[in-house]
Amino acid sequence: MLRAAANYGYLNAKIRALRSRQLSEQDRHFLLAAKELTAFLSYLGTTSYGSYLPDPAKGAPGLPALERQLSRPLMQDYAKVAHSLRGHRERNIIIALFRRFEAENLKLVLRAMSANLGREDVSHLLYPLGRLSDLNWDALWAAKTLPELLAHLRPGVFGQSLAHALPQFEAQGRLFPLEMALDFSCFRYLQEAVQHLGSRHDRRAAEKVLGPYIDILNISWVIRLKTVYGLSPEETVNYTLPEGDLVTLACLSQLARAEDIATFISHLPPVFQQEVHAVNHWQSIGFRLQGWFVKILARVFAGPPFHIGVAIAYLLEKEIELTSLITMLQGRAQNLSVEEIGKKLPEQVTEVAYVQTG
Amino acid sequence: MFRPVKLTRVTIQTPEDQISAVMAVLGDLRLLHLIRVEETHLGRMGYVAHIDTSLLARYDTLLTRVNRLRVDLQPQGPASGISKTPRPDKAVFRLEEECAAIEQEALGPLEQRKGLQNTLSEHQALIGRLQLLVSAGLDLDRLHDLRYVIWYAGLIPEENLERLEMSLDEIHHSLIPLQRKEQRVVLLAIALKEDKEIIQRALKSAFWDPLDLPADLHGTVPAILEQLQQEDKQLENELAGLNGKRDALALKYGVKLQQLREEILLARELLRAQAKFGQIDHSYLLTGWLPLSLFDDLRERIMKASSGKALIDKVDPEDVKEVRSGTLTIPILFNNPVLIRPFERLTTLYGTPSYDEMEPTGFLAITFLLLFGMMFGDVGHGAVLCAVGYVIFKKMYRYFDYGIILMECGVSAMVFGILYGSIFGLENLIPALWMHPMDNIMYFMKISAFLGIIIISVGLVLNLINMVHQHRYTELLSASGLAGALFYWLIAALGIRYFLAGPLSAYEVLFSQIAGGTLLVLMFLQRPIRLLLARQKRAEKTKLLPPGLGITVLESFIEVLDELLRYLANTVSFVRVAAFGLAHAGLFMAVFTLADMVRNAHGGGLLYWITLVLGNIIIIGLEGLVVSIQTIRLEYYEFFSKFFQGGGKPFQPLFKGSEEK
Repeated sequence: MLRAAANYGYLNAKIRALRSRQLSEQDRHFLLAAKELTAFLSYLGTTSYGSYLPDPAKGAPGLPALERQLSRPLMQDYAKVAHSLRGHRERNIIIALFRRFEAENLKLVLRAMSANLGREDVSHLLYPLGRLSDLNWDALWAAKTLPELLAHLRPGVFGQSLAHALPQFEAQGRLFPLEMALDFSCFRYLQEAVQHLGSRHDRRAAEKVLGPYIDILNISWVIRLKTVYGLSPEETVNYTLPEGDLVTLACLSQLARAEDIATFISHLPPVFQQEVHAVNHWQSIGFRLQGWFVKILARVFAGPPFHIGVAIAYLLEKEIELTSLITMLQGRAQNLSVEEIGKKLPEQVTEVAYVQTG
Repeated sequence: MFRPVKLTRVTIQTPEDQISAVMAVLGDLRLLHLIRVEETHLGRMGYVAHIDTSLLARYDTLLTRVNRLRVDLQPQGPASGISKTPRPDKAVFRLEEECAAIEQEALGPLEQRKGLQNTLSEHQALIGRLQLLVSAGLDLDRLHDLRYVIWYAGLIPEENLERLEMSLDEIHHSLIPLQRKEQRVVLLAIALKEDKEIIQRALKSAFWDPLDLPADLHGTVPAILEQLQQEDKQLENELAGLNGKRDALALKYGVKLQQLREEILLARELLRAQAKFGQIDHSYLLTGWLPLSLFDDLRERIMKASSGKALIDKVDPEDVKEVRSGTLTIPILFNNPVLIRPFERLTTLYGTPSYDEMEPTGFLAITFLLLFGMMFGDVGHGAVLCAVGYVIFKKMYRYFDYGIILMECGVSAMVFGILYGSIFGLENLIPALWMHPMDNIMYFMKISAFLGIIIISVGLVLNLINMVHQHRYTELLSASGLAGALFYWLIAALGIRYFLAGPLSAYEVLFSQIAGGTLLVLMFLQRPIRLLLARQKRAEKTKLLPPGLGITVLESFIEVLDELLRYLANTVSFVRVAAFGLAHAGLFMAVFTLADMVRNAHGGGLLYWITLVLGNIIIIGLEGLVVSIQTIRLEYYEFFSKFFQGGGKPFQPLFKGSEEK
């Protein structure tokens, strides 16, 4: 216990300080209540995101560019959390989570390459990764062909997965297999990082947060692959992630084969069924489950403080906050009503609220 | 040697139909630094650049064809060189014909060889794939004969196997892992033909990498492998035959191809050089810098080639209007003997000398070798440096110059080794013709300082010559000019006098005070007086003391102090020559002491010699590097800083730096 306190004392204090800068219920209220985009941005300027907003005098930026600007605090928090951790094994977990954003930028490199676009053409869509990313982005952007790009990535996390996906990319003539391979490699790296954690206590704490996270991702992916991409059940199952908590492979297989929403919900684990039993839109399932996950994350902060789970929970919570902010921003840009936007947002849970309801 | 090659500005005007002939002459002569006509006053007269792009395109195509043949034939040996530059417009026909003749004979066998190589590599890839299935002992005929079942062989990432199994949960199937390879599983996937689409979709989404076995393979996998390996042997025999043919072709056409390539490159460069020519209607004009000694030859050859239709003219650099106005820089063409030429690299590393200043490479080479030898004097070490330099000179063409420098440094070290009586640190093998540095430390230091005075004095003299050449007479009275030099020599002479014959006499002290004081006053006052004279010349009506005079006096005072202190520091800096010479000898002592300690501790003679050899290697590597750096430092900071201004432009002959070569 003393050792854990010594290891995680500073991190815990740091995270609590960072957490105090998150958007409050009041902030969310005023952001939702903003009548137009200018008012929305004007209020956002009074929050911790204010310093990351572009100068209004320079004109309104495009929505995608604004979204990437707003992701800057999250990227910075990743760096702060990683630097606050003492052991490299613990730091590897944070880096593994961070790799998801590297993967997103790599997808853009691939898309730009296939569309003959340059770095400057898509720079507004890139996550501002900062110094935490150890990939040689200049070399990656300078690569003219896919084999050249793979040669740069080969020694790293993404190289092998991309190499394995290459035959399917060549057979199908589309980037989808490569993009999926990038996602898979992140989660495989994450899984390895969890397994390599020194203490069992830490491993359990990490799995407690990451298990539900992967469950929800898998459910959301199954819904998206079924309803948006129209993929067959056998393809859908193969495009899911391993190492979930409650959602087993067999469960995923049933979900992929469910023909209607009611059957789908009936195949979900009981905990999730409780959350989504009244839902009648595919899309709403994801929003509800995200709300449930927010509660799980809040529970981490109410429990014992000295473990790696706190860091993971904070970063995922911050990521959900960013997603919500972008949802609100897009809703405001599309002039959606407060109710319409609200439906797409996970329930806001503060520690106080959790204690009252829990 | 101490001045660059004397150049002249040449202007050639020729009718359009003679331009190729003129270009051929320029190609032969090569030593012409072209100036872009559009950038001179002639450009303003309407002369514009024009490249014959269609002819250049023909040469580009030709070069691609020749390069392709060279890549396929891989001819060895250097080109024979071009004795006479061809006219680009005429030569292209001959070059195309010659290239076509080689292609006619060579392309057939080369294509056949390439085809055979492809077949062989396909075979080998197939063998590699089949070897993944060999452990299962599959009979492909039986698998092909299956009526209701479809099968696939391929690889999937290990972690996807479980999910693939689950994704096929609803159909009859069998997934048979055969072996593992690089974190992938070699898999035989079997399902009913009616479920073909399902299994295909599932495999595709599990990152399936199919083995792609051709349908015409029959029998068991081991039998197929044996058959393929036999076929491979036959193919390899055929390939060996074609390789022989290729070698014969390379022998027959190798030199010719190299020569063709040289000619094409030369012609392309000539055509590209046209971008610097000027053209009005049917008349071409070109201008550039040429060594003065070549002018008559050039004129004669151009007149002959153009049947007297060309006009050729020369202008002395001093009379060129653009040079006088500073818009055009005269390039510098070094003029050094072979043994000094490699040191040009060290000169240009500091800066390119301008045309009207002393070219310092000769001085640099002499002083460099002298200083290096003094600091690294040892016969054995010098011989090692010589040997290393020779290897570089012979084997590494790119560093050819450094090889020569290393050899020369080696010789210098050997000479000083003889003077110091040192061979690999052993000072009892040969007598010292001059001294053992460790026995004469103070003497060695005095000699170093004296050497410093001589080198700095050479720098000061070179500076005075530059001042006179460049008509900078007003600077003669400055601290860096004649007054400063005289002051330095006065102090140096007094120092030497003191060390040689003891305290100065009263007369000498008085003379020094008067001479030194006068020189100091001159140096302090030269700037303010120049300021006053300049104002007087401009006939400005000002007060008795013009504004800014005080600042000028102060600046002058600081400048003189700074310059004189620098003279002192520069001279003292040369004591390092003795210091490093002594360090070299000191390191030997350390190595010998260490070797003795090792021998006494372990009682082995072998270890003694190993320590000696290793010690010597370390001294050569480490001390050699340090001494080189110190020598360069003395050259640049103590010597060059006295006179070298730089800012010149290197002479670029017509065919230097072709990217294809």
